[in-house]
Amino acid sequence: MSDVRALIVDDSSVMRKIVERSLRQAGLESLVVFEAGSGIEGLEILKSKEVDLILSDINMPSMDGLEFVRQLRLQQLAAEVPVVMITTESSEEHVKQAIQAGAKGYIRKPFTADQVKQRVLPLLSTV
Amino acid sequence: MTQTLRDSMHLVSDPDHLDESVREVFETLFGAQCRGDADVDANDTHEPEMSVTAVVGFGGILSGACVFRCDALAARQIAARMAGMDFDTVDDIVKDAIGEICNMLAGTWKGKVPGLAANCGLSVPAVITGSDYDLHVQAPEFRICQAFRFENTRFEMTIVCDGLQ
Repeated sequence: MSDVRALIVDDSSVMRKIVERSLRQAGLESLVVFEAGSGIEGLEILKSKEVDLILSDINMPSMDGLEFVRQLRLQQLAAEVPVVMITTESSEEHVKQAIQAGAKGYIRKPFTADQVKQRVLPLLSTV
Repeated sequence: MTQTLRDSMHLVSDPDHLDESVREVFETLFGAQCRGDADVDANDTHEPEMSVTAVVGFGGILSGACVFRCDALAARQIAARMAGMDFDTVDDIVKDAIGEICNMLAGTWKGKVPGLAANCGLSVPAVITGSDYDLHVQAPEFRICQAFRFENTRFEMTIVCDGLQ
């Protein structure tokens, strides 16, 4: 697989590092990562950078992950890019809300590299 | 008749949910097990030395908080395992890591209680550091407090509920 550019949106810098490490362990060794600490920062980055994958937390201050995904679609930013939500919220209702907002996948924290591999790599098959 | 969370108090306040949540989170994150430590007093909320306390609030059909408490050395060691780097002090990254651990524990715990996952929200974590403070909740509905050992560190987990529908 060629270089994959991923945007990781999480208000926790430690979680952003864990997500990046898991992506590399899942096989995306030549990964280019952009980091955002909030949905607002994520939208700003996407105005100037092209990415192949977006991973976003849900529970964040200022703009949560669901609103971030809605805004992505509204502003037609990264329209074809798969978004995977990574969150501690794991009920069916939360998954449904994420899918309705436009997410293509859902991973519950904490997660293993294998779970990331199973849920993220299939979304990149066309990259 | 509609079943309320209060009707299932025995399930909500079951200490096994907290125990399972802690073991599950640590095993998934670190690939290592932590074990219970019976040496804990649920009524002892006083901090005898420099400690790190993370709090994630619950809101919705259950209100209260999930509290993770450990000493500075344990916080640095747990953060080192999460971030893949060493820490000499309890800096912002260590506080961030301990807040995230608490967040994951709170989310995992509420996912184990029937009816709670979808109807109880989590706040973003708050982290307190210091050496002389008490954690006080006025007349809680229930409180579960357990201590654990992970590698050579010790930490305490508390679920305190001050409102239940």
